[in-house]
Amino acid sequence: MKTPSEDHDLIRFLDGEMSDAERARFEARMAADPMLKSEVIIMQRMSADLRTHLPAEMPVPYADFFNSQIQVRITQEEPVTLPATRSSWLDWLRIPTLITAAAAVAIGGFMILQKQNQPANNSVVHSIYVPNPAVQARSFHSDEAQATVLILDGVEAMPADRKIVGFHIERTESDQEVATTTLFGESGQILAVVAKDARNQPRLLSANPRG
Amino acid sequence: MKLTSTLALWILTLGCVKAQQPVAPPVESLLAVKPATDGKVWGALVYATNDIKGLTGSTEVAPTDFADIPGRLGKVFPFQRFEILGQHLQDVFREYESWVVPTKDLFLKVDSKGPADGGGMNLHLQFWRDQQVLVKTDAVLKEGSPLFIGGPKWREGQLLFVLVLQKSR
Repeated sequence: MKTPSEDHDLIRFLDGEMSDAERARFEARMAADPMLKSEVIIMQRMSADLRTHLPAEMPVPYADFFNSQIQVRITQEEPVTLPATRSSWLDWLRIPTLITAAAAVAIGGFMILQKQNQPANNSVVHSIYVPNPAVQARSFHSDEAQATVLILDGVEAMPADRKIVGFHIERTESDQEVATTTLFGESGQILAVVAKDARNQPRLLSANPRG
Repeated sequence: MKLTSTLALWILTLGCVKAQQPVAPPVESLLAVKPATDGKVWGALVYATNDIKGLTGSTEVAPTDFADIPGRLGKVFPFQRFEILGQHLQDVFREYESWVVPTKDLFLKVDSKGPADGGGMNLHLQFWRDQQVLVKTDAVLKEGSPLFIGGPKWREGQLLFVLVLQKSR
């Protein structure tokens, strides 16, 4: 594994940012290090492919949300040490979570970012993502109710003849091996099991519907 | 652990096949080690309506700690009656997702993102209706400051989801 400085040299070489002397030294290193040379070739190919298939400039949709999610990721995950000098666009390719975030943003949907200056004791909604573009979401804090409110406008109404099946869940047990959560009622009876299907969507198997 | 889940699935399967046996028997917990948790939340699905005759007749009552929730809902949503249809007190697991399932129809996936500055919890929430996610949100949940989610309309009123962080004991 390369040290950060070696890594940075590689990026500067690929970006054509080296002086003649630096470039000569780096090429000498490549000649002596087949693995380094191999990585350079791979990165050059990847770079060429990306430049071929992507437009030179692409606006980031919902840039505020994108930036906020990056900040959240950076604070939540282990720190990413960046070199002190100007960073390359290739640096971003090395952070898989950012690629994932960018892809998720590019896919679309409706996103809004909430910036709220709330007292320290209030719950806060930082960001909202609504997959269905027909649904509008907004949040606010109600001083009177001392509650944070998230409103979903445009959600399809529940059919009037649908019977809402209510539970009184006292405890649960999760089995990560088979990705299920078993929900127990007041008397210790099993009320339902939450499992996931192949698309990672929840499937709720109910034993004792009521309501 | 696996045995409990398998047993639960079998019981549910039998329960669905044999409608004459609606009550599943109690099952002893086989969990040896409880997963680490970051706190506990109470979730409820509430039917808000002005139509007294349209109430479902649910007998669910909020726990003492959250007894003021219906009154607080009345300060936000333009309804006079707030009927709890289902409720769920749930540990928020530190490393695993947690499900808050007060009803079969609308439920919440909760992922802990760790303690928040100044108290409370950073959470990623997903509000599900059957197999459809209605909204995903990153939020900070503080003690004494519930999150109200205004959900779909139903009958003459609206379904509301309430999520409250239980006070540390």
